[in-house]
Amino acid sequence: MNKLEQPAERFRVIARGTLGRGRTQAALDLATGRLRGNRLAAWAEVDDVEALRERAHEARMRVIRDLDAHVEQFTRAVEGLGGHVFLARTAEEAREYVLEVCRRRGARLVAKAKSMVSEEIGLNEALEAAGVRPVETDLGEYILQLAGEHPVHIVAPAIEKTAEEVAALLSAVDGSLLTPDLEVLTQAARRQLRESFLTADVGITGANFVVSETGSVVLVTNEGNARLCSAAPPVHIAITGIERLVADLDDLAVLLRLLGRSGTGQRLTTYTTLVTGPRRAGEADGPEELHVILLDNGRSNLRGGRYEEMLACIRCGACLNVCPVYRRSGGGAYGPVYSGPMGAVLVPLLVGLEKAAALPHASSLCGACTEACPVKIPLHELLLELRRDLVEEKVASRWERWAFAAWSLAWSSAVGYRVSTRLARFGQPLGGVLGPGRLWGGGRALPRLVRRFRDR
Amino acid sequence: MLSPVATVQLFATCLGDLIFPDAVADSESLLRGAGFQVEFPRSQVCCGQPAFNAGHRGAARRVARTFARAFSRKAPIVVPSGSCATMIFHYLPDLLGCDPFDVWELSSFLDENGAEVPLRNKGRHLAYHDSCHMLRELGVADAPRRLLERSGATIVPLPRPDLCCGFGGTFSVRQPEVSVAMADDKLAGAARADALVTADPGCLMHLRGRAEHAKWAVPLVHIATALAQGVA
Repeated sequence: MNKLEQPAERFRVIARGTLGRGRTQAALDLATGRLRGNRLAAWAEVDDVEALRERAHEARMRVIRDLDAHVEQFTRAVEGLGGHVFLARTAEEAREYVLEVCRRRGARLVAKAKSMVSEEIGLNEALEAAGVRPVETDLGEYILQLAGEHPVHIVAPAIEKTAEEVAALLSAVDGSLLTPDLEVLTQAARRQLRESFLTADVGITGANFVVSETGSVVLVTNEGNARLCSAAPPVHIAITGIERLVADLDDLAVLLRLLGRSGTGQRLTTYTTLVTGPRRAGEADGPEELHVILLDNGRSNLRGGRYEEMLACIRCGACLNVCPVYRRSGGGAYGPVYSGPMGAVLVPLLVGLEKAAALPHASSLCGACTEACPVKIPLHELLLELRRDLVEEKVASRWERWAFAAWSLAWSSAVGYRVSTRLARFGQPLGGVLGPGRLWGGGRALPRLVRRFRDR
Repeated sequence: MLSPVATVQLFATCLGDLIFPDAVADSESLLRGAGFQVEFPRSQVCCGQPAFNAGHRGAARRVARTFARAFSRKAPIVVPSGSCATMIFHYLPDLLGCDPFDVWELSSFLDENGAEVPLRNKGRHLAYHDSCHMLRELGVADAPRRLLERSGATIVPLPRPDLCCGFGGTFSVRQPEVSVAMADDKLAGAARADALVTADPGCLMHLRGRAEHAKWAVPLVHIATALAQGVA
C-alpha cells in the first residue's frame, strides 16, 4: 500500500487526538511560532526579499519546464565523475535499486540522513524486510525511529515531542536515566549514533538540490549528519525528487539564500555540503560508490498543467509554520509523510484525489501559506483548484454535489432566494439536527435567522 | 476620492441579510453619514462564494450571475464583508467572464473617502480581527483600525493577528474540532478587550457562535455596528 494514501476520515480522527494533548499543542505552538518569527526576521534582513523570491521562482520554473534536458545533463555530469544516476519512475523501482545496491555490497547496516523522499517510498520498512538495519541519524528522525513514529513536520520531524518525551526515549537506549536537558540529550544522541556512522556499510541521504551543470548533490543540515553519511561509509546513495534539479551554482546560491532563511531563519544552515562525485584517485576520503536516485512517482504528471508550480517546492517548511490548521491539527493528521499546506496540495497530486480526498479541504484557505512560500507557490489557490477537481471528477459525495446544486438553483433568482430563506427561517429548529448544522453545533451556537435586511 | 452626494450601491451579502441585518443597516447609516446616497438593489442575492470555495464552480457561477445582474456598473459597490469583496474583486470576473467590478469593503471605502465617524467608542479598548481574505487578498489592515481609533477607541493588539479564526466556509463543518480550537485561540487573545471587532460576517458568525457556546465573555461586533452605534 502506498504510504501517501489517506482514508477520508483520517485527518479529523488524528487531529482530534492531537487537539486533546495539551503538551503537544503547546509544543506545536511554541515551535511553529518560533520558526515563523525566525523566518520573518531573516527575510527582513534581505535587501529585497520580494525580488529574491521572484528570482527563486523563476529559477525553479525554468528547470521544471525543461526537466528532461536537465535530467540528462545531470546524469552525464555525475557519470563523468564516476557516479551513477537512476531515474526511478515509481516508489517500488527506487526501493528495488537501493536494495540491489545493499545486496551487492552485502550491507547489514545503513546510516540514514533525513530524507522525506525515503519516507515517501517506505524505504526503512523495505530495508528491514530485507534484513538491513537502517539507523536514522538526524536527531529528530532518530527520536521518531526510537518511538516508532512518522515525521510530523518536513523540516523538524519531531516538532511535537517535548524534552521529557525525548529524555525517556534516549534513556531507554542508554539504560540509565537522562535529565530532560537539551545539552544532555544532544550529547547522548551523539554518543549513541557515532558508532553507526563508522560501521555503516551504506550511507543514505536525501538531497536538497542536485545541480545539472556540475553533477553536485547538495545537502543542507544543521547537524552534519548528512555529511558523515555521505562521506564515511563506502557507498553513498542520495535519493531525491526528480524536480529538485537546479541549473547551475548561480541558481543554487539564490535558492540557498532562501532555504535556510525560510526554514529556520538561518542565513545558511550550519552545514552546506556539495557532493560532487565519489572518491577520486588519490583522495583520502569519500565513498567508493555514489548513486543518485531521482524519484518521479507521479511528479512528471504535473508538468505543463495547472499544478506545475507545486514542483517548485523546496521543502523549507515555511508553510507549515504559518498554517493555523497545522498548528492545531498537528502533522500526523495529513498522513505519515508530507504535512501542512504543501502536503495538502502535493499528496493528492501524487496519489490521486480519491485516495487523499480530505486533504484539499484541510485548510481554511486563509492564504498564510502562499504569503510565506519563498518560491511563491500559490498554495491556497492550488487547494481551491483541487477542490474544484474533487467536484468535477465526482470524488465529492453525491450528497454534497446535490446540496450545492439545489442551493444554487434556489438562489439563482431573487424570488427563489426570498422563498427559500423564508422557508429556512421556519425550518430553523431543524438546523441543529441536519448534517452541517449538527457538525457546526457541536461546539458553537447556531446562528439565528432573523427578519431580513431587505424586509425592513 | 468621490465627491459627496455620489451614489453607492450596498451589497448586504447573504449572511448580512439573513443573520446580521443590523450590521447592514449600520453600514447604510455610516455611508449616508459620510454623505453618500445609498442604493440597495432589490434583486441582489449572494456572490457565490460558499460554493466557489468548496469547489462547486457550476453552482457558484449560477449564484454569482445574480450579482452581476443586480448591480449596475455606474456606481461603486460597497460590501460589509471582506471575503465577499474579495470574491467579487478577485474571482467573479474570471468565473463569469465579465469586466472587473468597482467593489469596496466597507471600512476601506469609508477610510479612502475620508468619512467622518461618530465619536462613539471613547475610552473603549477594542481588539480588531483581520479576516484572512481582507488582509491578504485585498491588503486592507489599517483602514478598519484607523476608523475605530477615529471613533475614540484604543486598539488592543491581538497576540497573533495573522492567525485565521477557523471559519473558512465549509472548513468549519468538515473539521469542526480544529475550527473551534482556532476560534478559542482568537477569543482567548481578545479576552482583555471590551469587544472583538471584525469586518467579516463569516468570522463573526463563527466567533460569536463559539463565544456563546463556550461562554467567552468578550462581545463580538461587526465593524459597521462598532462605528455606527459604538460598543456598549
